[in-house]
Amino acid sequence: MGKRKGIKVLVSVIGLDGHNTGAEIVSRMLMDAGMEVVYLGIYQTPEMIVQAAIQEDVDVIGISSHASNYAQIVDLLELLKKHQLNDIQVICGGTIPNQHARELKEKGVSEIFLPQSTSTSIVNYIESTVKRPNL
Amino acid sequence: MKRETDYGHPIKTFYHPKDIEGLDYDRDLGDPGSYPYTRGYYPDGYRKRVWTQRMTAGLGSSKQTNEVLKQYREMGQRGGMLVICDRTNAMPIDPDHPIGRREVGVLGWPGASLFEFEQLMDDIPLTGQSITLLGSCAMSSIRLAYIVALAEKRGIDLKEVHGSVTEYPFCTTFGQTDAQPLDLDLKLWLDSSEYIVRNKIHMRSGILSQHFQESGGNNAQALAVEMAMLKELCGLLVHERGLDFDDVALLPYELVSVGSRFFEEIAKIRALRRMWAKMARETFKAKREKSCQLLISVHTSGRTMTYQQPLNNIARCAIQTLAGAIGGCTAIDNACLDNAHAEPSPLAARMSLNTQHIVADETGVTDVADPLAGSYFVEYLTNTVEEEAYRIWDKIEEAGGMIAAVEKGLVQKMLKESAQEKHREVESGERLVVGVNDLVIPPEEDFQIPIQELKTSDSEAIARRMEEWKKTRDMPLVNQKMTQLFVDAKKEDRYNLMPSIIEAVKAYATAAEIIGVIRKARGLSYDPLQAIDCPFDLK
Repeated sequence: MGKRKGIKVLVSVIGLDGHNTGAEIVSRMLMDAGMEVVYLGIYQTPEMIVQAAIQEDVDVIGISSHASNYAQIVDLLELLKKHQLNDIQVICGGTIPNQHARELKEKGVSEIFLPQSTSTSIVNYIESTVKRPNL
Repeated sequence: MKRETDYGHPIKTFYHPKDIEGLDYDRDLGDPGSYPYTRGYYPDGYRKRVWTQRMTAGLGSSKQTNEVLKQYREMGQRGGMLVICDRTNAMPIDPDHPIGRREVGVLGWPGASLFEFEQLMDDIPLTGQSITLLGSCAMSSIRLAYIVALAEKRGIDLKEVHGSVTEYPFCTTFGQTDAQPLDLDLKLWLDSSEYIVRNKIHMRSGILSQHFQESGGNNAQALAVEMAMLKELCGLLVHERGLDFDDVALLPYELVSVGSRFFEEIAKIRALRRMWAKMARETFKAKREKSCQLLISVHTSGRTMTYQQPLNNIARCAIQTLAGAIGGCTAIDNACLDNAHAEPSPLAARMSLNTQHIVADETGVTDVADPLAGSYFVEYLTNTVEEEAYRIWDKIEEAGGMIAAVEKGLVQKMLKESAQEKHREVESGERLVVGVNDLVIPPEEDFQIPIQELKTSDSEAIARRMEEWKKTRDMPLVNQKMTQLFVDAKKEDRYNLMPSIIEAVKAYATAAEIIGVIRKARGLSYDPLQAIDCPFDLK
């Protein structure tokens, strides 16, 4: 763990959502900012995401959501708690209505980036919130 | 601000005759109703028939979607109905699948069996309007079987039904949910297409550039990809399935995504008509004029509907609808003001349908066919997008055609780069989007629109209902039909599975069961997500 230099982010789409453009654009922008990105792609279940997060020892999980699979994001948060992975923060991006954005934040999503969020806002947020002892 | 087309071609301050030097009216344009159909297929434009004015329906149960369809009719939907399936059905997995039950009914109609289709169509005629079901390629043959089975049940001549329920095999490449591998999707598409053509059913198949463009592709790429898909898929039906091109030409329809770059969108539609007409006549040696007329529908761009200040989307939708109408099309369905938030609320649906009626009835756009023909700028743009599209299409052909280009990742790379570029343009302020990077207001000051959505408990209820309903079926009959399907699916790819799929559908086998058995016959797992086992004893 101590050997790694940069921040490591897992980017995934959750459930049956096939929209991968947003996730791919964000992956690219994080890589351009010097972060290490593990891109899982589509059709990922909360279990698969948590498994990969453990294996890859990531700092952040980024979920790209295009409408209506919020229940599975909540499942993911619960699963992380169950595995005592409280140090991994979950951020979301995409078309998430206000009400759901509020609920997801209450349940533990650390930040939600709306459509057309800038690279700077996403990168700055991650850089300023991830605290690794070896950074 | 960038003064370039969306595919990066510089735009001058004005255009004059020299910019379209060499344009030959009869050769390149022709009157409306004449080859190469740049100006449209009808000499009287929209005077005899206005485009089909429709809205996408699909959320919650079949009964809920049925009610929405009836509401749309009252709200001014004319000429046809359009239903999109949910993500479970697009895969397809059944609503009672452990993963399916978390999302069933979300973003669409859960069309998992003939039982659901019967409920969807309750009190709605199969004839007299176009029946369009959108979703995924994997579901093509099953949706076609629903139509065949319901027509038979209602005692309707299948030839009286028109619309489109089948879809092209590249949708997964462009962000659409569908868990089947390309070779299986292709086989299922060819089977359903061959069945339609051989039985002279008046159903079209969507070979759509819309998904590509909505995922971030530009106008020239969208034309190139569309033409490459049309060439390869029609070619397979002619050469592999032994069909006559003049029959095949009645199959495809294209759904063009129309964004806000008004003149470019109109040019794109005009260029597409000309490109298809030329390919039909020169490459496929079409004998009938009708074969040179590609059916084109318009979807106003959901991608351009902003999350921020959603009421602005009403203005965008109006501009795009006008562009689609001027470009010339058979049908329009609009993206709604709440597109970036949720499924269309009744308010948003009404606004979108009203927008179409305002454009049709108040602007005078239906009076004259192809009103922008002869505009130096529009003719220049039509030529330019066509030239650029031919250049990109050539690259796809050099890679071996659309299937090979997708297998090599060429098309995906092109799409990814274009999407990145579009994002960069907005981020850098080279392209302005009101409410996003221009005239921005704090989120708390934004107008709160009504949100139409489904609760997790609604999905669970649909799943439970399916579990109960499954037990009421004649299981020995379902088993018998599935065994037959399994045997047939093991035969060579040219063996058409439509007849055995229709039999299975009539016995109320579900979509996931049918695709699962076909998958098993091809050596794949029954369940694409490998969460459940095959419930049938297949010998």
